[in-house]
Amino acid sequence: MTSMAVRLMPHLLAWGAMLLLLARGCAGRRGTVAAAAGAGFIGGIVAAPAAARLLGTDASFDTAKIVLGAAFLVYCAVAVAALYGSGRSSAANWGERLTCSAPVAAAGAFFTGVAGGAVCGFRSLSGSVTTVCAAAAAGLLLLPLMLLVERRLPAAFVVSPASLVSGITSLLLFTSSSLLRLDLFSPLTMKVMKFSHDFVHQFFESMLIPDHLFFTARLWGFVGVLFSNAVGFWGALVVWLAPALLVICAVALEPLPAVAHLREGARRRKTIAAAIRAKRQRLAVPLLALAVFSCAVYQSKFPAVEYWDPKPIQVSASPAGEIFIPKKGEVDLEDGKLHKFLFKKGGTEARFFIVMTPAGGLTVVLDACSICKPDGYGQTEGTVICYYCKTLIPLDTVGRPGGCNPVPLPCALKADGVHIDGVTLVNRWVDTVQATARVGGEGK
Amino acid sequence: MRVLGSAWKVLSARALTPVVIGLFLLLYVGIAFSAEDALMALINLVASSPSLIALFSLIPLNRGALLIRELNDFRARRRLLGDGTGILEPRLFEQTVTIRGAAGGFPAAARRLAGAGYRTRGTGATLRAWKGVTAFPARALFLAATALFFCGILLSLGGRVSARGNVIEGVALPALEGSPAGGVVRRIALEPSGGSLLAKTLSIEVAPGDDGEPARSFGLYPPSRYHGSFVYPRYLGIGLRYRLFAPDLPGGAEDRLVLSIYPPGKEDGREVEGTPYRLVFSLAQPADGSDPYTTGNFTAQFKLMRGNDLLCAGSAPAGGAFAKDGYWVEIVEVRRVVVTDFISDRGVYLVWLSSLFFVVAALAWLSVRVVSPRREMVFLSQGEGITASLRAEGRGRQTAGLFHELLDALNSADGPHGT
Repeated sequence: MTSMAVRLMPHLLAWGAMLLLLARGCAGRRGTVAAAAGAGFIGGIVAAPAAARLLGTDASFDTAKIVLGAAFLVYCAVAVAALYGSGRSSAANWGERLTCSAPVAAAGAFFTGVAGGAVCGFRSLSGSVTTVCAAAAAGLLLLPLMLLVERRLPAAFVVSPASLVSGITSLLLFTSSSLLRLDLFSPLTMKVMKFSHDFVHQFFESMLIPDHLFFTARLWGFVGVLFSNAVGFWGALVVWLAPALLVICAVALEPLPAVAHLREGARRRKTIAAAIRAKRQRLAVPLLALAVFSCAVYQSKFPAVEYWDPKPIQVSASPAGEIFIPKKGEVDLEDGKLHKFLFKKGGTEARFFIVMTPAGGLTVVLDACSICKPDGYGQTEGTVICYYCKTLIPLDTVGRPGGCNPVPLPCALKADGVHIDGVTLVNRWVDTVQATARVGGEGK
Repeated sequence: MRVLGSAWKVLSARALTPVVIGLFLLLYVGIAFSAEDALMALINLVASSPSLIALFSLIPLNRGALLIRELNDFRARRRLLGDGTGILEPRLFEQTVTIRGAAGGFPAAARRLAGAGYRTRGTGATLRAWKGVTAFPARALFLAATALFFCGILLSLGGRVSARGNVIEGVALPALEGSPAGGVVRRIALEPSGGSLLAKTLSIEVAPGDDGEPARSFGLYPPSRYHGSFVYPRYLGIGLRYRLFAPDLPGGAEDRLVLSIYPPGKEDGREVEGTPYRLVFSLAQPADGSDPYTTGNFTAQFKLMRGNDLLCAGSAPAGGAFAKDGYWVEIVEVRRVVVTDFISDRGVYLVWLSSLFFVVAALAWLSVRVVSPRREMVFLSQGEGITASLRAEGRGRQTAGLFHELLDALNSADGPHGT
């Protein structure tokens, strides 16, 4: 109970901060916003465990992830619109009017409540009904408290419509990034890496640029960066932080007011100085949002979870090139745990693992996927995780190709054990890991 | 007419291109969650959908319309500043202000502006002043470049035709069905290059063919053209002819293969047709570290397999043979091969041209902006007072300071009250 309370604490704090932003961002409609947000929170915290029971854990997490992804896309659109409308009073007024209209303010607050509550609900999935009720009560208690705090905040703490969306989205994604299954940053790195790879490949083909075989090592060193795994992280970081930066730019690039009509220099300077001061105050929330987004990245990169990750057992091949691993040998292949092996040939070290799937069959796969750096996989309940991109792969899909699934390895499953062709293993390791990801095979 | 006006307004809106690109980005995100190869899937989807093509073509149209609109504004400003025949429209300037009650000529303002390095022109009722070089040509070039770039992509999407063929030393160039045969490939040369971009050069020398093409040589980049298509060398391969004899295959087997076994060490295998055998080939790396493709000294390594059993493994140079345990593998000949795409695509030219425009536009904009950005002021004495306008492509705060100073001077000299 205590540990669950500790785990829920950051989510509730984030929820409190969201309430604060909502109250200040829709200052004219505090009551509506508070009621809608509270109702949404209760709905979300109840709906998450209910959905997990009705739809299954995977489907409910996937749905929540899609909703969070959609929220991020909307945020991107708002950020672009904010930048585009920067300095155009009509656009700003349009945003203000929209945010302060009762239906939009209520809908936005309700969605925020549902999302914030759902994350708390998913976090307390392993807890009891009492835990969920306690979290719901704490969430509701925060409502009057935050309204009170908001009234005490200085008037200089200004929350523009774009800043409001920026702050709320950053807090939502921060709170969800602490749950591996709701984390958006890790899958984003994968998508960015794939996009970069596909884009460069397509660009080369479209512009009829020769194959890398003909490039100087120096040039390929530069181009190769776009194929490297680092581009996934840094590219995703750019995408992740871009909307927050756009909102900051929108505020920073707002033109200063025209003062040509003022005929006293002192008044002109005072007007300009006031505009600059107001601009700086409006930057506070977007800058905080940027910091929260950065914290979400840290949380995503260093999740506090432990996995079963045995040391690879070195195996060798027969003179005909066949690797044989008995079912009951040094390890029991059918004990439900992931078993890692290492095969060395020439200068290549190929890692693979064998695991029993929920269907009851053994499956043999490389300890790497075809798109990530070969950091390998760990096993947790019902899934394996790619250490590089933190993607969770359900055990029943291990052995199927594609995406971040470990690359399947052809083998002969016989009564006595598993027979693998050494050349096929090494070639597949080299082809799919080294050639595609352009990284060394040293792994972890 | 009103509809046309609205259509023009939409078509020349600055927001149109970002909105369309945003829509395609959304489409990509949607596809990325359901397809593995999202970019290719998006390209194929757009190429096969007239509505998406129409949506995409809004981008070059928008850039063209924007160019026309900005060109008109530029000409209007030039007329106004040059001979003073134009109309002072506030939308052409960043700031326009009217000082009510003020009137008269601008000799003092003209002197002040000339002292600040401005060129001035005017009559008693107007004063036009400007300084620096306009960045509009760079802006126009940028807009033209984006229009060309997206036109190029459109043309590539709709009209790219690609055919892959093996260009083999000593064999005629691949020809389309029904077309006369191309010239024989005399030589394929891969040589080290001292360039900063390419480490190797490739040349495919072709003799005159029945198709009327003269003797010529195809290189790497920029790609040469053959029968209207770009010759795009993709991969290097090896053409290999072998003979195999085995104890249960006294008659032997012979075949010609195009193998993907370059660079040395890379393996490629084929079933020996009509037999239970499989041969896996690779190229041996010469002891002196030289590139066999460059020198032409090929030694083929092979593994003879029957099912999963390795029967024998060895190597033989071109023209040589290997024998062991009743198995005989002869490497009859080895030829250089270039796996080549013959691509017909007019969009490539536009994209190349747009790249050039982008570079020139960027350099021109940067140099103008750094050295001497354009600043323009117009003062117009009208019945109700003085209307003054300012536009600065750079150093805005400094220019605004001078502008305000002039307005203050005009105000104190001629009477009260700015609006």
